[in-house]
Amino acid sequence: MPLYKYVLRRVLFAVPLVLGITVVAFLIANAVPADPINANLPQSALGNERLVAAFREKWGLDQPLHVQYLTYLGNLVQGDMGVSIRTNNPVFDDLRQFLPATVELATVAIFVGLLLGVTFGIVSAVWRNSVVDYAVRVLALIGVSFPVFLLALIGLTVLHAQLGWVAGPGRLGFLLSRPPHVTGLFTVDALLAGQWATFRNAASHLVLPSLVLGLYVSGIIARITRSSLLEVLYTDYIRTARAKGQREHAVVLRHGLSNALIPVVTLLGVLYGNLLAGAVLTEAIFAWPGIGRYAYRAATSQDFPAIMGVSMLIAFIYVVANFIVDVLYFFLDPRIRYV
Amino acid sequence: MSLITPPATPSTPLTVRRGHRLRHLRRHPEIVVGALVVIAWIVLSLLAPWIAPYHPLEQHIADRLQPPNDTYRLGTDELGRDILSRVLYGGRITIPAGLAVIVINSIFGWLIGAVAGFVGGIWDEIMMRVTELFMAFPTIILAMAVTAALGPDIRNAVIALVIVRWTNYARLTRGLIIEAKTNEYVEAARALGAKNPYLLFRTLLPNSIAPVVVYGSLDIGNAILLFAGLSFLGLGPEPSSPEWGRMISIGIHFFDQWWMWLFPGLAIASLVMAFNFIGDGLRDMLDPRTR
Repeated sequence: MPLYKYVLRRVLFAVPLVLGITVVAFLIANAVPADPINANLPQSALGNERLVAAFREKWGLDQPLHVQYLTYLGNLVQGDMGVSIRTNNPVFDDLRQFLPATVELATVAIFVGLLLGVTFGIVSAVWRNSVVDYAVRVLALIGVSFPVFLLALIGLTVLHAQLGWVAGPGRLGFLLSRPPHVTGLFTVDALLAGQWATFRNAASHLVLPSLVLGLYVSGIIARITRSSLLEVLYTDYIRTARAKGQREHAVVLRHGLSNALIPVVTLLGVLYGNLLAGAVLTEAIFAWPGIGRYAYRAATSQDFPAIMGVSMLIAFIYVVANFIVDVLYFFLDPRIRYV
Repeated sequence: MSLITPPATPSTPLTVRRGHRLRHLRRHPEIVVGALVVIAWIVLSLLAPWIAPYHPLEQHIADRLQPPNDTYRLGTDELGRDILSRVLYGGRITIPAGLAVIVINSIFGWLIGAVAGFVGGIWDEIMMRVTELFMAFPTIILAMAVTAALGPDIRNAVIALVIVRWTNYARLTRGLIIEAKTNEYVEAARALGAKNPYLLFRTLLPNSIAPVVVYGSLDIGNAILLFAGLSFLGLGPEPSSPEWGRMISIGIHFFDQWWMWLFPGLAIASLVMAFNFIGDGLRDMLDPRTR
């Protein structure tokens, strides 16, 4: 199958999924709350009949459900996700403002997770059933069993408060000003502007939260890498490679790992989505001004439109991430091209 | 989006002869360790009213923010409540909540998955697409949205977790039913004149429930983590409640008083880890490749 056909098929697959996401979001936003007006308007507006009527009018609440959905979809296409009860801004604008911080954090975290997870997985598979293997497996279990917020608090206490190795909460020190806005990622923007001190400071603030989030996915990655590498290492072509007299590390890394990593790659899209969701708890603790913290503050102040906005945004990112993974997969696994 | 994908249908029957089972248990000590920790937590929380030194809500304002000492073994919080007593009582909220999520999900997911797998055709197609939709949503944030919509309390947190996690159960059951319905005993029952509901509940249910139960036991850890996460975010029980996640969310405002967040955190971690030990061990034990 040529690439364009494959991509087209994936796009056709993604479109109904995106539409479906809006249906689920709509149902939760309008069907689950006992009264959508109570859930979507601030307390102060509830007494004002004109505001309530305007809200009813805008979202078509007196229309049948399918018309309501179309109204909702129409508003959504124009970037209208409602107005945040807490900040009084359109949710869309808030999300645009807070997303870069989360993207920066989640991207660094997925690299941390991959680096730790794949290393642990290889070590664990090569020295199967040894002390190292057990240690790695327990570590992986800790990664998936410890609540993210506990890891974060322990990290803050030990690495920041006690040892002072890394910066604490926030994205930048108080004395520094934000780098000129290009991408919204502070590390990248600081580099682009040539502000080294700002870059170092921003990077130092990234260490702890990305380590905590990375540890959380590294456990999952380590498990998959281990089991898939173990499976691969017993195949015929590995025996052939060994029989040819290849060195063991070449056998494992070049022949084994490149095939063993395919399941890890397929999972990357899901993991990235997990990271964005895990970011809610991490960002809440590290005062990281991203969409996770936005969702947290929204949740604690019953800001329903804002939470719905975040969950829809992450669902969209999840679909896009999986789409990218599917395309990557096309290059990684030649078998797909012959289906 | 879930951390654990439903296990493939085990190719070997789950009921192994007893001698075999014991031998397997010896080779998987993590199951025993996990089970002991879980049982210990259940016993401790059942006995909490008798063994806890204080009532979880009893305030000793004069002794507020005390580090662990002889009177208050794990210290006190900002209102002088005994952390040890609160941690012991906390299990009485978290364990039943986690169990409730799993049990409701198993029943609900089994029903939906079974009907889809049994009826097949267009219904099956619709069900699969719907589960994909739910899986696209980030678990914790969707759960936050649902609890925020329903109003934060324990019951609504459980409902939210059911809404965000039933899909795994439904998909697992669907696969099991599709495989099971081709069996000869189903043919035989049908030939004897059995109607669909009878086939579903009397013939297929007993033959497909075991893997769902196993998956549920693997999933309790996740359910507890999510529940703790929700209540950490203030979407679970009320603020004064001795729930572990809630205690931590208050504890982070008293960052230097580490005992306020560390002990409830370790309570969650030890319980979830014990469940994951059992789950991992069971999965290894049931996977013929690792024998």
